[in-house]
Amino acid sequence: MRALIWAELYKLYRQPRTYYALGAIVLMEVVILFSAYYQGSALIDVLMSTLKQSFYFKGDLLNGNLLVYVILNTIWFHLPLLLMIIVSGLLTSEYKDGTLRSIFVQPVSKSKFVLSKYFVAMLFTMVAIFFLMLTAFGLSYTIFGRGDLIVYLDTLNFFENNDAMWRLFWAYLSGTVTMMFYSVMSLTIAIFFRDTTITWILATFFLILSNLMLRVDFGTSLWGKLLYVKLGESWQHFFYYDINWQEIVLNNTILLGYTAIVMGFGILVFKHRDIA
Amino acid sequence: MIVSGEGLTKSYGGNIVVNHVTIRCGPGTITGLLGTNGAGKSTLFKMLLGLVKPDQGRVIIESTRKKPLSGIIEKPCLYGYLNAAENLKIFASIQKTPYSRENINHLLKKVGLPTDRKDPVKNFSMGMKQRLGIAIALINDPEALVLDEPFSGLDPIGVNSLRTLILQMAREEKMAVLIASHNVEELSKFCDFLYVIKDGEIVRSDTAKTLITQYTDQYLLVGENLNFSGPLERFNPVLIGNGAEIRCNPNEITKVLNQLVANGGTIISCVPKINMNRLFQYSQL
Repeated sequence: MRALIWAELYKLYRQPRTYYALGAIVLMEVVILFSAYYQGSALIDVLMSTLKQSFYFKGDLLNGNLLVYVILNTIWFHLPLLLMIIVSGLLTSEYKDGTLRSIFVQPVSKSKFVLSKYFVAMLFTMVAIFFLMLTAFGLSYTIFGRGDLIVYLDTLNFFENNDAMWRLFWAYLSGTVTMMFYSVMSLTIAIFFRDTTITWILATFFLILSNLMLRVDFGTSLWGKLLYVKLGESWQHFFYYDINWQEIVLNNTILLGYTAIVMGFGILVFKHRDIA
Repeated sequence: MIVSGEGLTKSYGGNIVVNHVTIRCGPGTITGLLGTNGAGKSTLFKMLLGLVKPDQGRVIIESTRKKPLSGIIEKPCLYGYLNAAENLKIFASIQKTPYSRENINHLLKKVGLPTDRKDPVKNFSMGMKQRLGIAIALINDPEALVLDEPFSGLDPIGVNSLRTLILQMAREEKMAVLIASHNVEELSKFCDFLYVIKDGEIVRSDTAKTLITQYTDQYLLVGENLNFSGPLERFNPVLIGNGAEIRCNPNEITKVLNQLVANGGTIISCVPKINMNRLFQYSQL
């Protein structure tokens, strides 16, 4: 198993598309920061004109923390889309190039092979989020400096600079669990459909569907508590004044359970499928 | 027998691709599987290699080695962004067989690849990729090698050197080699035993020599001053360039050649042409 993981990591390290993915993350951040630099101040001023007459805000509201939060919000759609494309490619490229045939004419266990793919997919997701977080903090603080964070969640919530920083950190960490679910799902879609384009289309469709379901208010029903899309927005809970740690931990644990189930299902299907 | 398939059957969507096929290959033997495109050669080989599960029948492997058999299906599938040594390293590591630089160089030399090329294998010619594919297959010393269309896309020099390599593995290392091809001329040159597959069924199987003898009814002769006058006229010679194509049975060819030499001709080459229509006709085995 360790040898298979090492081989997968080596392939990932040597493939140009890994670096394109990390480059795309940086580019996405640069575009956000660039837009904020030219338009952000004006927008914030319009939004806050009334509040600024009644309250004192320390520093500029268009600051590094706000930008780190805006970049964090790519977790809704842009980042999972990018991750799903990259991660599904771990397998679809092997189908396309026929290297799976070369692998399985060797004494290699199918279950262990695909498990190592899932492991590397999750590891890559963690690295990508860590990279996003690191560059988001680095670039945003360098360009815009620090300051209080303003977030609109049902109402406007304000967090002081230091408080905001660690809330953002925990939100990225919680978002990693959500992203791992999407990555594992995309690899499972790849196992089912094998073809690169079909997998991309279905992964994107899955993401769109998830975003649509996110807007549906299931209230306090079981759906609202157990649906993966609702569990996957736990990272947002760090931007309420009182953090409900118990709920966040429970949600992420259930989501990790879903991830394991999707992974198990993928392994089972891959194990019993012919290598065409 | 090192590898044998007994009554192998596979169908896709109700369409039978391989139908009750039995095939065997022993140590030091080169066994050919001859069939047109879509005859079921690749599916049969995929079943032998364990890539595809047969609907019926079984694959028997008589070997105690870690890797009893290996091979290449359709084309050598490699990691194009890695170089030859890195490809070997990856395929060795996933088998838990760490290969040192010396082991890798030894394998590369064995298949006739340079050890100093560091560029990605996507730049390699098809012949070089075939050789690297064989080197990967040879990791862990399998007892049998299954090669599907190994000569496709190769130039004559590439074909010749690959044929030499396969012969060397079978004769010197006593490997069982199974080769599928649609090229009867190529297979007949070096196979010990031949199976002919048509529409998923084995229609003939015998020693290569027997099949060539039974189904050759034409020869392409190349030489100088080839004089087909007199009794040789009955072989209907058709002159082509420096040679001629004649219709004759294998038991008559020696006589024809002797006569041509007696008539003052020089024979440079004599290539038998197998009657494909007859060879691929259904028959009772």
